Amino acid sequence: MRRVAVIGVGVTKFGRHERTSAELFAEAAADALADAGLPASAVQALYYGNVVGGETEKQLHTGPQAASVLGIPTVPTTRFETACASSHAAFRHAVMEVGAGVSDVVLVGGAERVLNVTTEESTEYFAYASDARWEQTLGLTFPGVFALVARAHMSRYGTTEEQMAAVAVKNHKHGTLNPKAQFQKEITLEQVLGSARVADPLKLYDCCPFTDGGAAVVIAAEDVARKSRRPIWVLGSAAASDWMLLGDKRDLSRVPATERAAAAAYRQAGLGPHDVDVVELHDCFTIAEIVATEGLGLFEPGTGGVAAEKGWTSLGGKIPVNPSGGLKAKGHPIGATGAAQIAEIVTQLRADAGARQVDGARIGLTHTLGGNTATVLVSLFGRD
Amino acid sequence: MTEPVATLQEFFEQARQGQLTAVRCGRCGALAIPPKQFCPECSQRAWEPTSLSGRGTIASYTVIRVAPRGRADEVPYAIAAVRLEEGVSLLGRVVDIPFEKLAVGLPVRFRPLTYNGQTAVGFGPR
Repeated sequence: MRRVAVIGVGVTKFGRHERTSAELFAEAAADALADAGLPASAVQALYYGNVVGGETEKQLHTGPQAASVLGIPTVPTTRFETACASSHAAFRHAVMEVGAGVSDVVLVGGAERVLNVTTEESTEYFAYASDARWEQTLGLTFPGVFALVARAHMSRYGTTEEQMAAVAVKNHKHGTLNPKAQFQKEITLEQVLGSARVADPLKLYDCCPFTDGGAAVVIAAEDVARKSRRPIWVLGSAAASDWMLLGDKRDLSRVPATERAAAAAYRQAGLGPHDVDVVELHDCFTIAEIVATEGLGLFEPGTGGVAAEKGWTSLGGKIPVNPSGGLKAKGHPIGATGAAQIAEIVTQLRADAGARQVDGARIGLTHTLGGNTATVLVSLFGRD
Repeated sequence: MTEPVATLQEFFEQARQGQLTAVRCGRCGALAIPPKQFCPECSQRAWEPTSLSGRGTIASYTVIRVAPRGRADEVPYAIAAVRLEEGVSLLGRVVDIPFEKLAVGLPVRFRPLTYNGQTAVGFGPR
């Protein structure tokens, strides 16, 4: 495999937009191409993430739709759907296309539009990522999935609602430093604990918001990347899957797909958890961040809650997690999230992150989880 | 042509009559519910249907307060992952148990439920 680098990144403001997802992607892609210093004509393929376009925009075939709106209608384009991990899955496949020598420059990204429908509609659509016959019939929601994870983690390890709330407080604090974030206000532990119940033990402020937004990254083969301004190298990119039904997962306090994807990515990169300086991981719910920090090997199983509470994952802590504000404060436009996480890590490794910069970061990791924990992607990045 | 191991329709028809049916691997003895085409333990395809007792204990649970579209009149409702005594687990609605009594380890028993005309897995008190 050839070496592959990210040479350009672009992210829209996250929040509510009166534009289609294709328009949001096109804005992010134009920024990414400008950052890469390449014209749109240099793009040889588009790998695109979009999840609920069929439901919220009555739009399928969103790959070519996005390419057309961007103005590169003839490049081969494929839409990836792995629930919330879609554009990270797109990224892994794009890296393989460039690594294999099929293309030299590939555009990767995604976009989502959900704030144009009601909360109860989006709650229904997000639940489509769980099994229709076995789980949707029960009225299982996406917060419900992670509430079951939370209760199992609390029961097994003694993790507390206060520790989960500490994740929300930390990510909101980080979000105040990110001008693209959906929420740029600090919240208190008491506000989290006192917020409306969604799926016990999860409350409103344990949950990431619904978000409109787009994100894009340009990847290139080594000889192209060497001519670019500031390439950030892809050191590893791995995917893992797990049982679809929650009943088939033996231990709901863990996410085995995270552990398997992380092990594969670390092996590709020849690195381990202790080499990582900055992490963007999938905090769709506060408990998801705690379980992910354990699954990635940053902390021992059962100690992720303690780590959050003690500030070890805050900016300035042992291993800063989600300096962007994470899904919790930056927002979670599901089809765009994986690409947006990669954009943040590239920005960090270029030492371009301003007030939220992790000083001296050389190795970064992104982790994106799909829906009911049945899909996980992990990638590792490094600067020259 | 490969014959189906057991269709979803067959499973839920039996469930509607109060019977939980799993399959056991004739090679390695692994138990699966719902059935899979191949045994995840030994990759063979030698399933034999087997009846489950329906008795289990709660492994995790939640009370849903914000429902998907069309189900707002059902909230709040409890969903639990239940470890059946045979060693396999199923997700189901919990009925006839007060929310404050819900706990990891609480014994429950399978009962069929119906939502929007579809049979679903439920659990009630032993």
